Amino acid sequence: MKGDTRRAGPRPGSTGTLFRLRQGDSVMIRSALAGLVLLSSAPALAASRPRYGGELRVAHAGPPEIGEPALADTPMEAALLGLLTRPVCRVDANGQVHATLARELTRPVPQALRVAMPSAASATALARAWTRLSSTESPSPYRALLYPLRGEGRQVTATGATLDLALAFPWPDLERSLCHPALATPPSPASGPFSAAGRGVLEAQSAWPEGRPYLDRLALTATDERGLTRLWAARQVQVELGTPPDNDTLTGAALYATYLAFSPRKVPADFRQAVESAIDREDLTRLFVKGPAVPMANLLPPALMPQAPKARPGTPPAGATRKVTLAYDAALADQRAVAERIQVKLHDQGYTVALEPQSRAALRSRQAKGDFELMLNAFLLPPIPGPALAVVLEAGGRRDLLGVELPPIGALTDAGARDARSRERALALAPSVPLIPLYAQGLALRAAPEVTGLMLDAQGLPVLEGAWLAPVEATGGGGRP
Amino acid sequence: MSRSLLPLVLALAFALPAHAESDEGAPPASARLALAVADAIRGAPAEAPVALCLSGGSAELRRAFGTLLAARLSAMNLGPVVLDVPPERAEAAAREQGARSLARLTLDVEGGELVARGDVLGTWVNFWSGRTPTRPPKPAAAVAEGVEADAAVLALAAVGTPSSGTPGPGPQQRRPLRLLGAVFARLETPLGALAAGDLDGDGRDEVAALTEHEVVVFGADGRVLARRELEGAPAVATTREAFGALAVLTGPPRLAAWSTRYARGEVLVLDKAKGTLRPSGTLDAAPLGTAERGAFVPGQTVFAPEVRLADGRTLTVPAPFGTASFASPRMLFVHADGTASLYTRPASAPAKVSGLGAGSALGDLDGDGVPELLTTSPQLQPTPDALRVFSLTSDAPLAHEPLWQGALPPGRALYVVTADLDGDKRREVLVGSWKPDGTSELFLLRQGAP
Repeated sequence: MKGDTRRAGPRPGSTGTLFRLRQGDSVMIRSALAGLVLLSSAPALAASRPRYGGELRVAHAGPPEIGEPALADTPMEAALLGLLTRPVCRVDANGQVHATLARELTRPVPQALRVAMPSAASATALARAWTRLSSTESPSPYRALLYPLRGEGRQVTATGATLDLALAFPWPDLERSLCHPALATPPSPASGPFSAAGRGVLEAQSAWPEGRPYLDRLALTATDERGLTRLWAARQVQVELGTPPDNDTLTGAALYATYLAFSPRKVPADFRQAVESAIDREDLTRLFVKGPAVPMANLLPPALMPQAPKARPGTPPAGATRKVTLAYDAALADQRAVAERIQVKLHDQGYTVALEPQSRAALRSRQAKGDFELMLNAFLLPPIPGPALAVVLEAGGRRDLLGVELPPIGALTDAGARDARSRERALALAPSVPLIPLYAQGLALRAAPEVTGLMLDAQGLPVLEGAWLAPVEATGGGGRP
Repeated sequence: MSRSLLPLVLALAFALPAHAESDEGAPPASARLALAVADAIRGAPAEAPVALCLSGGSAELRRAFGTLLAARLSAMNLGPVVLDVPPERAEAAAREQGARSLARLTLDVEGGELVARGDVLGTWVNFWSGRTPTRPPKPAAAVAEGVEADAAVLALAAVGTPSSGTPGPGPQQRRPLRLLGAVFARLETPLGALAAGDLDGDGRDEVAALTEHEVVVFGADGRVLARRELEGAPAVATTREAFGALAVLTGPPRLAAWSTRYARGEVLVLDKAKGTLRPSGTLDAAPLGTAERGAFVPGQTVFAPEVRLADGRTLTVPAPFGTASFASPRMLFVHADGTASLYTRPASAPAKVSGLGAGSALGDLDGDGVPELLTTSPQLQPTPDALRVFSLTSDAPLAHEPLWQGALPPGRALYVVTADLDGDKRREVLVGSWKPDGTSELFLLRQGAP
């Protein structure tokens, strides 16, 4: 259709609200991210509306137990934990923001965001979770997402069921920053679209503020890659999370970025050059990293900025043999493989690398204190360059740059201009941030034909509460082995 | 005033001035098409004087378009002459009138567009041809132009449609159905319910649309008469999709609206002069019809099976339903699986009907005094969706060929209502669709000249 029909736009003269986002309301924003909508191609007799009810059998290659949101930041863990607890909003594949846990996000004035929660208890829990990101006992790089708030988000308080967030400087991307999974509250009975109802069973949360999930329940099975293959071949599951990518899988944006962090005071000045000359990111990603992964040469992953080919520098002059310790996440098998590869490659450069597996909590704590020589650091970056740059600077120990870099970005009213500036600054700041980008990963999943309406959000995570089961007679059996 | 001219006067009175006052200032569809066709004729290149021969559509649409096109061509110094002859006589008539070029155009309203197709040819006859009417090498061009139709075009196209017989009891003559469609209005958020009724007591229906947080009332031309943001406490259990109940209440006219986002519904009164919807009460039951009430199934886009009828009795429908329509004494309830319970009388057992879409309604389109069943596609993702009109004179309405069917614009057509927008006692059809970009569209289907 083309032409000039009338559009019922915003009511002229309505309140001074500049921005309003409520349950199901959406605010059009741009997004450079590719999203994928899984919709059954077969016609379904459903009278044009999604059907309610049914149990969805889901297998995953993630851990059976998941910790707190700020630490459960691999795509798999974030996807699983997201079933039980959600941040205040989500960004869909088209870049639209949808309130989820919150009932409403409004800007009464441009420099303040009001988050209306379903209850005073949930508002208090949210304030506590956000304040905890900045606490000394468990500092998190994701606290950078709250940096634009007055007081850098260290003290967030709820008034009844409302959180009034005052900005220290203009930051139009605040809403999308708050949609990051790490900003969710610890799981509680009403914090997610589903709630635990026994071993491996999650029941739909009928009072979920965004709307009741279409499915009645999820039956989760934790397994490994071989188990996924077996369960899928036997048609015992309808959705697989963490399956190896192939032509039939759907892959979320690769935003789980892994860096080799180094302490400039504890390694030689030419350490970055030594690593860059020794490591081939393409080989490293292809041979040692599981799942959908892409090499990452810049501070921001390819999903957020184009990766121009970079010439590898020459090998620095040989010096005395150095002993260094490389800490990595003991829970991630591919980090172990990558750490071993780095160990081998740096040996050729005169480094004797001792490997030190650590829990993620210990890694984060040591990273915040600067208590390491080398460390593999991985973070789930938000799907917008500006907030992603903030997390990377924080993770790289350059919190001092946040106050310098973020205000000029936030001052740009045009979203595309903010993204462009964030990318420019990421390039310019790369040499001064002690992080060597390595690769970025996403989450791959596979769904049976009867699973309809399953979407991946801009973060690359599945929105299972939006999926429903099409009637069997309408789906056929295509797409299954 | 002659009876045959009355519909035209009504159509022009209620459609054209409204467009002239439109905030957006966009010219009507017929004017836009005239501009496009005039450019095509000039580019043929036509030589003045240009004769115009129009066919297709209603006589009123042809006349209106001919006037606008002639004005455009005149402004281009092409000396237009509008011929009132059938197409097969146009060439001879053009020569008789001394025209040097002839544009033969057929008008139609199809798929929501007003289209003009035809050709432009030269009428000059070479001296050496004698009496043989040879044609010059130019102008010679094919014309195929289309613009999005609007309510005014539909009003013009509808003039000439046989009107129904004298209102009153007893069987009446059925008129053939031919629906012409155009976009009526657009909303920036998904539609949750749609209703029509006379909200200002002027004898013509207004159209009301409910979104998650707002009610918008449109006039017959698709202009917004009033809108109001809903208020109240949030619902404990809401739906992921926009959903709700909306009905026009009578005596005095009011609008009852309830979105599943809210714990209660609102009763609103339209103040047309001020362009506002004034709250006049709250609702504890979902307004399914003028006097029928129901209840939402919490968190789902369906209503509970128990329905309180206009006479106060309770009817228990066989299953929860997502759509209800009432055309006394008939009642239709469409269930989530695409089946429906159709009651010929409240006390009778329902007939089970299969293959209905969520957008379904009862409405008398052919003027025979018996409502027809209007329904969209039962498929989840039809491409394109379609509106079908079935007669209810048999026990199995969907077992017979539809009285009319036609494709709808892209989107998920979830809402259908009928309305008498211009007070001519003929009902128009409004289809509410969700568009892929998260907006909604109201598509108007008006009965056109056969």
